Amino acid sequence: MRHRLLVVVILVLASLLTFSAGVLAQDQPITLTMGSWRVDDVAQMQVILDAFNAVYPNITIVFDPTNPPDYNATLRTQLEGGTAPDLFYLRSYATSRQLFEEGFLEPLDDLPGLMENFTPEARAPWATEDGLPYGVPFIAVSHGIYYNKDIFSELGLSIPQTWEELLAAAQTIKDAGYDAFANASGDEWTIAEIVFMNLAPTFIGGYEGRQAYLNGERCFNDPHAVAAFQAVADIAPFLPDGQEALTYYDSQQLFLMGEAAMWMGGSWDIPFFESQQPDFEWSVFAIPAPEGQEMGYVTFHMDAGMGLNAAAPEANKAAARKFLEWMTTPEFAALMGNNLPGFFPLIDQPIALDNVHADEFLALNEGRGLDVRWAWEKLLDGSPDGYTLMQNGALAVIAGTMTPQEAADALQAGLAQWFEPAQTCAAQ
Amino acid sequence: MADNVLSVPRVRASSGLRWEVQRRRTWVLFLIPALLIYTVFMAFPLFNSMRLSLYTGQGLTPDRFVGFDNYVALFTNPLWRDRFFNALGNTFVFFAIHMLVQNTLGLLFAVLLSNPALRGRSIYRAIIFLPATLSVLVTGFLWRLILNPRWGMLNQLLEAVGLGALARPWLGDPVLALPVISLVSSWQWVGLPTMMFLAGLLTIPDELSEAARVDGASPWQVFWRIKLPLLMPVIGIVSVLTFVGNFNAFDVIFAMAGARGEPGYATDLLATFFYRTAIAGEHPVAQPNMGVGAAVATIMFLILLTGVSIWLIFSRRREGQQLY
Repeated sequence: MRHRLLVVVILVLASLLTFSAGVLAQDQPITLTMGSWRVDDVAQMQVILDAFNAVYPNITIVFDPTNPPDYNATLRTQLEGGTAPDLFYLRSYATSRQLFEEGFLEPLDDLPGLMENFTPEARAPWATEDGLPYGVPFIAVSHGIYYNKDIFSELGLSIPQTWEELLAAAQTIKDAGYDAFANASGDEWTIAEIVFMNLAPTFIGGYEGRQAYLNGERCFNDPHAVAAFQAVADIAPFLPDGQEALTYYDSQQLFLMGEAAMWMGGSWDIPFFESQQPDFEWSVFAIPAPEGQEMGYVTFHMDAGMGLNAAAPEANKAAARKFLEWMTTPEFAALMGNNLPGFFPLIDQPIALDNVHADEFLALNEGRGLDVRWAWEKLLDGSPDGYTLMQNGALAVIAGTMTPQEAADALQAGLAQWFEPAQTCAAQ
Repeated sequence: MADNVLSVPRVRASSGLRWEVQRRRTWVLFLIPALLIYTVFMAFPLFNSMRLSLYTGQGLTPDRFVGFDNYVALFTNPLWRDRFFNALGNTFVFFAIHMLVQNTLGLLFAVLLSNPALRGRSIYRAIIFLPATLSVLVTGFLWRLILNPRWGMLNQLLEAVGLGALARPWLGDPVLALPVISLVSSWQWVGLPTMMFLAGLLTIPDELSEAARVDGASPWQVFWRIKLPLLMPVIGIVSVLTFVGNFNAFDVIFAMAGARGEPGYATDLLATFFYRTAIAGEHPVAQPNMGVGAAVATIMFLILLTGVSIWLIFSRRREGQQLY
């Protein structure tokens, strides 16, 4: 009798324990960390993470960004030391590919929604050559030409439809006493990223053209590349006086003060320009194609993906996968695009944005070819890297120390030191 | 009795010796904390960084031993070599301008301030020393504003006095940028050599210059023949401090030209080159190479060691001359 009672008590206790353990496993609150280089986005990301928390009340994600220039090195140190966040922003192409190849990133081919809601092109920056994804496509930034509508209407200018019209408009603006473009070489990266790589797709023929360089069909000093450097030379006379020493911030101010009519810039400047409330209307247009070229292009750069730390505890990984799965939904895309104006979702579905300027920027994509910045895919993987070569070439063209042909020759010669397609291109 | 008489000093001597040994042991005890701190925080990192310069690999712990390959790459691979020798040359220019401008001005100010006839000496002293109390990031930012080609005060001033033709994008000109930044740095730190020279001048007894004047020496001769030779030890110390400070200089370049030593590496110093190589990497790849970085740091250390050793040898020799 006593024995039986004891057995019953034990059974009841045991079942209670397993039941509560099951409950715990399901409902135990879990906190994940997210690494990022976007120190400016803390408040905006909180809105997005709170929205996720409303759907999954047990999963809290803490956004913990690092200063952008230190991000790659910091992340690597954390991954090697076992202190990396559960989820983290991934740079596109080689930087993250290397992390995956070294086993720091979880493969995500079985993540629901990833294959269905994104095109192979959108997944490519965070996938292997065979298409095995290790990151969820997250953020794209676009590039174009910001313009001061008031100055344009004052001078009777309309949006230039060809490259030649753009140069004519620049001349009109300059003659009227304004600076045509606010861009300057005081911060050298701006010439590479928001001038040269902004206009390059229009002159090399977008994605297909860029691939022709990457597979050796074209040499980096072919007429298309020379034309891209020539375009930089075309706008050089329309940059502000003293542009050699004007910084990124100075350029933004020139545009915001209404002293410069145009600013070749990136979509990430939208929130800053809106916060400065300039006393004129502004909008954005795409780099116009040269006369006789039908197709227009926009540099729509795939900037950030989201990766899952392969060394995270299983419970964290399971929770993080819930978040990554949520990132593939249109709800997330709309939330992201609206909370971070100027940063665009990569989902393969039309997303309406509330922000007028962001919506105008995104609308430039319609009917145009989209491509990432020229140097990002493969050309950063060796020394001297394509980015530095393009930057130095464009700067030299602006300074007048190199002709566009010489700049393209230097690009070809530099890449031929290590990039095989550049070595074999002449034979094809 | 005789034994006792003899034994007394012997006992004293041995107890004195023991006391001496004990005293030395106590000294060593006092040295231990400093030695420990020095070993852990100075000597160990120094030698560890030298060891790192023989390794290669990604991330914080380069783990593949490659012997002197990093040094060979630094001196022979054109990608590293050009940047390294450019930075080395720039650092020498940076140092030369400081020696020429900062230390000469410091000496001039000190001589003026040591003149008892000068009124308001303490005010001038405060003004000259003031910039040295500010953060380099603050002064660097202020000078960036002053030198801004669009809104900067300097170009507007030049225009106002009819010298508009001299206006330049100062920090954007590859020829001017390094001298301009060196001058800004000299302006900031001129107070330190001034104070040291002033202290040195004040220790020179007035009798010497008075006697020289009685003998008919002009003020210039008094300075050149009496004061300057007596100031040589201070000049030596100031020079060596300038040398060490300039060959480690990073902050003023970082504040005024960025870590890449823009424009076009024209202001790249050894320390900014080291920072990019070992810590930050090159934009946008940002993957540092700690092995080569450690090699750069080791070379910087050797340059500093050589410079300071030369100074030590010379100052020892001078001390010897003064003693005998």
